[in-house]
Amino acid sequence: MSKYGIWPECVWRSPEMNWRAARRITAGIDAGTTSTQAAVLCDGALFSYASLATGVDFNRSATLAMERALEGTDMTVADIHAMGRTGWGSANVPFPAQHIDEVQCHAKGGRFLFGPEVHTVVDLGGQTCKAIRLFDWDRVRDIMMNDKCATGMGRSIERLCELLEIPITEIGPRSLEVQTDPEPVSTTCFAFANTETMGLFGRPEFRAEPLSEAEVYASHLFAVAWRILGTIGKLQPLDVGDIQVYGALGFTGGLAKNPGITRRIERELKVTALESRYDPMLAGAIGAALLAG
Amino acid sequence: MDQFKQLVENRHAYAQSWKARTGGKVLGWYEPYFPEELAYAAGILPVRLLARHEPDDRSEKWMYAACYPARDILNQFLKGRYDYLDGMVTVEGCQWMYHAFESTLRSRPEFWNHYLFLPDYTDAPTSKTVLRSELQVFQEKLEAWTGRTVTDADLDWAIEVYNKNRLLLRQIYELRRAQEPVILGSEMMHLILADQVMDKAEMNEILERFLEELEQRTPHRDCIRLMLIGSETSDAALEEMAESLGANVVVDELDTGSSYFWNNVLPQKDRLMALALRYLGRPHNPIKDNNWRRRPQHIFELYEDFSADGVIIAKQIYCHLHGTDNYAVWKLLRERNIPYLFFERDTTLPEEETRLRLESFLTVVRQGATHVCGWHKTLA
Repeated sequence: MSKYGIWPECVWRSPEMNWRAARRITAGIDAGTTSTQAAVLCDGALFSYASLATGVDFNRSATLAMERALEGTDMTVADIHAMGRTGWGSANVPFPAQHIDEVQCHAKGGRFLFGPEVHTVVDLGGQTCKAIRLFDWDRVRDIMMNDKCATGMGRSIERLCELLEIPITEIGPRSLEVQTDPEPVSTTCFAFANTETMGLFGRPEFRAEPLSEAEVYASHLFAVAWRILGTIGKLQPLDVGDIQVYGALGFTGGLAKNPGITRRIERELKVTALESRYDPMLAGAIGAALLAG
Repeated sequence: MDQFKQLVENRHAYAQSWKARTGGKVLGWYEPYFPEELAYAAGILPVRLLARHEPDDRSEKWMYAACYPARDILNQFLKGRYDYLDGMVTVEGCQWMYHAFESTLRSRPEFWNHYLFLPDYTDAPTSKTVLRSELQVFQEKLEAWTGRTVTDADLDWAIEVYNKNRLLLRQIYELRRAQEPVILGSEMMHLILADQVMDKAEMNEILERFLEELEQRTPHRDCIRLMLIGSETSDAALEEMAESLGANVVVDELDTGSSYFWNNVLPQKDRLMALALRYLGRPHNPIKDNNWRRRPQHIFELYEDFSADGVIIAKQIYCHLHGTDNYAVWKLLRERNIPYLFFERDTTLPEEETRLRLESFLTVVRQGATHVCGWHKTLA
């Protein structure tokens, strides 16, 4: 299996925290379609986490993620007081955990990662794009989500990177090398969009001015960003008559680490997204841990 | 499977047995404004053409990129599922349904058919006389087709049967106002759908028995109360999904739901005028509501009357009527801080995405996150 389309797996542990001193330990597992995260919180602060590619077995990925998050800490699953599970593979998580819906997890996790000022959390996941509007307190005002296929979301970009043999960490920055974005590719279907992007390479005889590599990436990512913008734009304002349409914005999920997507959304919305304190892919797992606790 | 779901599933067999039993004709109708009473008075069984969730493997040659109910009804005709019909009628309304009607006629020219004009501007000064004359034309055409004169007595009988049917449906529907209703949304939707494909006199007997059964039933526990609005549908998949997540659809504003039976025919000497006024005065779908925009207010009144906690808007993909009207509905819901969730339906309901969105929406409603009318109940 090609490694171009996979985000580097990672493990992190708080260097200074002593979990034995914690009064309440909670954990969350986000078993997503393309990646799985486990996060362990001690008294509401992040103690450790692990993130890895989901692969074909949700059960195995969830177990592995939790094992890695606990590795070298002396902590076992039995030490955890409450656990939450979320994501498309949530039902396969083999630990005794409470199922919590993804939107609530990303909302809660978004507040954790971006702070109380965030009012719009956009989860750019493997299969879905969830735009979530939050009140001043941690409650969801409105949600918008793609309701059919995974068009253009994480898995589609991963597949494209495998096809183009470009690491997923590089496609975003490379796409930003262009002065102006070319016409976006078709946004209607993942298969069509990827085929169209592949078609932009080669066959220069059919183009008066062949596109550069960066322009090809820009063409694809612009299309994806445009589609996400449509989802964000449909969110209800915070209050009737609210003119601050987007509020403070934070991106979570794998595509949040792709500046080719996030910068284009920021540019179109004329906002600067908030910086995440930790890996933005952790939002679901952290939210599950907080809500389970 | 509940009895009404079964009736909907077996609707083709039912119509065929009715035909064999009575020797009468069966007439398929497309649009919610079809005055069934006229056909019934002529001894005909009017049946609503309902879609099924099947791949439209034949219809694409004839029509493309229309809503799935229109495509699927055509598909069923092309597959021969409606071969037992003797004729079909469409009423001025949705263009996709008209397209399905015309395409069916091209492939099946032998069908007796009629296009009934019903003014889009239902409140115009001449609308009732226009519709009355259209009904007159339709009546004469039916008489020529069946060889039977439709008398005032026939019309009175048909109106009586239909009014009784609507009354019974309304009686059952009103039970949903209760905090702990005895009937769930999915069962009610199947009941209304079954009603539209059955002989009303027979259905009335079933409904009377069912009302007695309901009196003995243990009420369902109190849960999140939802309202369902949007394009017409031919199943209760969304209601069933909501129930599986601990909610209940307690009220709807669908052409295939409450709007079908909400108002009665008020008898008057001129029977055709009485019918015309009933159909011009029913709760309107978007295409007939483009003048006065009464639909949003009707939705709000139902929402309040049935103490709903949130609204699901389920529009069929490519449904331009509801696509256009939705903005007025969204505006109303936003202004009154009513939480709502918008879906687009297609041939199939994407199970996981829909469940995920519905689950999240229910959490939002359960938390009483907005100043919704009725939200106090969710805190209780």
